[in-house]
Amino acid sequence: MRLLANLALQNLGRRKARSLLLIAAVAIGSGVVFTGATLMRSIDDSMAAGFSRLGADMMVVPEGALTNITAALLTVEPTDLVLDADVLAKARIASVGRAAPQKIARVEHSGIGSHHDLVDLVGFEPAHDFTIQPWLREKLNREFRAGDVILGAGRDVPLGSQMLIFGKPHVVYGKLGRTGVGTHERGVFMSFETLEALAGAVPQHGSSRPAALAPGKVTGFLVELAPGATALQARFAILSAVKGAKVVTGDSSLSGIRQGLSALLQGILALMVLMFASMAVMVSVLFSAIITERRPELGLLKAIGARWPQIVGMMVVEAVIATGVGGVLGVTLGVLVMRLYERSLVYYLENIGVPFVWLDLPRMAAFAAAAIVLAAAIGALGAFYPAWRASRRDAYDLVRGEG
Amino acid sequence: MLVCRQVSKSYRTERGVVTAVAGIDLDVPAGRFAAVIGRSGSGKSTLMAMIGGLSRPSAGSVEVDGTDVWHLSDNALAAFRNEKVGYVFQFASLLPTLRLIDNVALPAMLGRRQGASGTYARAAALLERMGLGGYLDAYPAEISAGEQRRAAIARALINDPALLLADEPTSDLDEQTEIEIMDVLRTVNREVGTTLVLVTHNLALAEQAQQIVHIANGAIVA
Repeated sequence: MRLLANLALQNLGRRKARSLLLIAAVAIGSGVVFTGATLMRSIDDSMAAGFSRLGADMMVVPEGALTNITAALLTVEPTDLVLDADVLAKARIASVGRAAPQKIARVEHSGIGSHHDLVDLVGFEPAHDFTIQPWLREKLNREFRAGDVILGAGRDVPLGSQMLIFGKPHVVYGKLGRTGVGTHERGVFMSFETLEALAGAVPQHGSSRPAALAPGKVTGFLVELAPGATALQARFAILSAVKGAKVVTGDSSLSGIRQGLSALLQGILALMVLMFASMAVMVSVLFSAIITERRPELGLLKAIGARWPQIVGMMVVEAVIATGVGGVLGVTLGVLVMRLYERSLVYYLENIGVPFVWLDLPRMAAFAAAAIVLAAAIGALGAFYPAWRASRRDAYDLVRGEG
Repeated sequence: MLVCRQVSKSYRTERGVVTAVAGIDLDVPAGRFAAVIGRSGSGKSTLMAMIGGLSRPSAGSVEVDGTDVWHLSDNALAAFRNEKVGYVFQFASLLPTLRLIDNVALPAMLGRRQGASGTYARAAALLERMGLGGYLDAYPAEISAGEQRRAAIARALINDPALLLADEPTSDLDEQTEIEIMDVLRTVNREVGTTLVLVTHNLALAEQAQQIVHIANGAIVA
């Protein structure tokens, strides 16, 4: 009813200071929740992108293989020694989160570059890979498929052009960004299927072709630890389960940072939930006090024939207006804070090469709507019970300020 | 019109049970002007609240215009308060955030018996009749206590109630304003035929009534 809605609005205007304080408190609460949720989600997405770029936690390679350890484990090194492709899958090691098998064959006379150039042909499984594809700087607008190759940043061939490798045509599907890791810079990346199809065309070195080209064999695995697992646990588990393998760890701090940040984000989420809960309690207490103060007015409304849903409705509308406005202001405040954040920290992070992926607009809008709706819902819930209780009292008790 | 049978009201307090009204029988025929008099704390306001559907009796029954008030459902009781009874309190009872015309129209708007334009036209006419035609858009704080009381009477009459209950409507007003308010109430009773029950501790006011009920210690003494 319009008159009761007007009454609700005018009641808010009657106690301007209190209404403004309530709106401010809800604005701060919902602003923190909106900003926190958006930033957390953005950081989470950025971590997913950033950490996948940082590479694996460890490599599993044949025992005798030489390894070139870089800060970021992105590819295994070329070697003639191989492991069975299914060796880690069979071992079912709990501390291994993800394992990406790779085949590397260092070849010459491939048709790429000058005649004697050594070229690393790197095979990977697109479905399991987490160290090559995150570096894709540009790619064709379609799925990666057999016959496609991805080139390291050191090779300058246009996207979509045909590249002959040992006389066989391949399509340049994508190019990687600069990683600073040699194998990545000069490598030509392709699926296992594409690499194995080249085996017959690769000239033999001495008595045999590179062993990694054989089906069912891999040069090694890049391993990401399972959440909560330590590098030491994984190392012992792998060494005891996989005969003839050695484990090479990279920068051990990476998995620690990854796991630490995940825990931190969960902690922030818990704090946000607590903050929202405390806001709900505060609004409820405040409306309980407001309704106590306005018992005579509610009693008067009852006395002239207002039904209890009308009385409860008026109080709930009043609360929803106040907390809804607080929610809208909170989201606005949050957007301003994030603009500030974007101009300072995000700008700095991106300048030093750490990617920061903002949440896309539809999801950010959904978060904003959710924050406003939650704020309004808190107001509605906070006002409903004390209003309902008051509306059930005798009108005469309410008029006299009792009950 | 109004029939009370053995109406009682007791309160439980820290010092035990306090009886405010003890088994009152009262009959007021339709169209009559009755006055309930008694000292402060005698139970007359509590009796009025039970008659008006504002306070549930501990025992007994209240019948208004053939309706057993305290056997009504919540919604029906709200409708009864809205349609059958007009209540004038002993204090300024207008909602401070609404204009006078909104205050007067509010009971009709709550009852949704007629459209907003008809309700507001009637509210304006009632305020005009109360001598407040120039204050339709004024807020309660902008008019005097006597004018507020007259506006409250206009609000009580907006739904054409069968019963007008006035609980010490002139309690804190000067003598001249008291006379004006009583004139208004008597005119409504006489010209519209609305049954009027007036609670007062002022014998001079009570003497204007056709029926006087004297209450002391929650019971009728005369």
